Amino acid sequence: MTAHPPPPALPVKDSGPLKIVEAYDHPAAQAARATPGGAVNFKGTLLHIHIAQAASYEMTALDEAECVAGRGIVGDRYFLGNGTYSGRPDVREITLIEQEALDALARNDPPLQDGPITLDPADHRRNLTVRGVPLNHLVGRRFRVGEVILRGGRLNFPCKYLEQLLDLRVYLPLYNRSGLNCGIERGGIIRPGDEIELVD
Amino acid sequence: MSGRLIMKLRVAEAAPAAADVMALAFVHPRRPELPAWTPGAHLDVHLPDGAVRQYSLYGDPADRGCYRIAVKREGAGRGGSQWIHDHLTEGAEIFVSAPRNHFALNPDAARHVLIAGGIGVTPLLAMARQLAAQGADFAVHFCARSRQTAPLVDALEAVCGDRLTLWLSGEGGRMDVGAVLDQAAGADLYVCGPHGLTQAVEAAAAARAWPESRYHTEHFAARLDANFRPEPFEAVIASSGARLQVPADRSLLAVLREAGFVRGSSCEIGVCGTCECGYRDGAVIHRDVVLPFEARKSRLMPCVSRAIGTLTLDL
Repeated sequence: MTAHPPPPALPVKDSGPLKIVEAYDHPAAQAARATPGGAVNFKGTLLHIHIAQAASYEMTALDEAECVAGRGIVGDRYFLGNGTYSGRPDVREITLIEQEALDALARNDPPLQDGPITLDPADHRRNLTVRGVPLNHLVGRRFRVGEVILRGGRLNFPCKYLEQLLDLRVYLPLYNRSGLNCGIERGGIIRPGDEIELVD
Repeated sequence: MSGRLIMKLRVAEAAPAAADVMALAFVHPRRPELPAWTPGAHLDVHLPDGAVRQYSLYGDPADRGCYRIAVKREGAGRGGSQWIHDHLTEGAEIFVSAPRNHFALNPDAARHVLIAGGIGVTPLLAMARQLAAQGADFAVHFCARSRQTAPLVDALEAVCGDRLTLWLSGEGGRMDVGAVLDQAAGADLYVCGPHGLTQAVEAAAAARAWPESRYHTEHFAARLDANFRPEPFEAVIASSGARLQVPADRSLLAVLREAGFVRGSSCEIGVCGTCECGYRDGAVIHRDVVLPFEARKSRLMPCVSRAIGTLTLDL
């Protein structure tokens, strides 16, 4: 594993200084950790890895990616400090979305929009597209992607910015299924095809 | 910040379109369809040194597979066009933003009169194509030194037929701006070209009390007054009360950046609108060409705009 230069100072948004927190320090993760429950016996698969060098840049697919604990995916905007951040306490090291949610959009289910929406894995702007992983159950939980261990920090929330970038009305359709923002507890190399399962 | 996707596109065609003008077609290496656009829109081309240049799309929006721009080599320019001419050959790749339109056709216009000078023809060619397809009432005036220096003139003739008047100043055919405007009375005017032309048309329009809502223009070079003398001023950050001093020789944008307020920016000459910022009070000297009049009461472009005394920013 290569040594990486330290991240640049966090940007400041119009609403004030950003608060990037460790995944388990996020209020959502803290509440979820205190609450038992959630799926445990799943075995999912990593389908795609995508990164972008800065906010607004189109995502690029990777066959292999290096995850750095406490930082992000090497080369990604959140690793580099170039991303779009929410003004509230945030977790952004690595973000995931379920292929099943994309499948639902593609069949216009529920019928919240004019018709089916095909969201290419390069377009949803989450880093990892996964199958068979109940992401909404994993806030405050640790899970393994290949050799890497992630901590679920908070549910992702669709943003209007994505609608602007895609010129596609995806805000409402993605509501409550736009994935999970995680911290990286143990870094390593991940590849499409890696197995995903709960650690605890 | 308005979100626009920045894509790495491939140059599919690069061919001369007139003396010192190169026509480029960009395609996406993976996607058969690029983000949609309307006539008058432009792209931001991101050069490797971080500079960004705007170029109008001249092709047909119905052709979703490629973006077409024409770039004039500007010897006296900021070096962007030079780099493009030297490096963007077929197969080259470059970051390009999705199109944005600050120069759209007015759908409610009774008649459209398009006035182009030189390379300024590019957005007007796309507009003329749409107007012709809609059967709209329109006329195009195209000014150039000679036919050889008139970019895309063949395409424009094919689109406009006898609705095109070609004014070739090198052949004694200089346009009489006043006469053209008198003929165009009541129409929506669309003007794009070198500073001299846009100034002449603007002055003639002002003399005729042309309504602002019927006068449309695109600025890819800032309309900055060479006699403007920047003065130092103070910027206060509303959320923290921090006071930042903006010296005469630095932009507000540069000072905000240095203070950790990382702001997106692109053209840095007041034409693209990327670095837009809110303010609460202060006497602002607006020097951009992109903010609508109404918005200037509460928004400013920190790349070029300044203030007198103290300015409180909504940051």
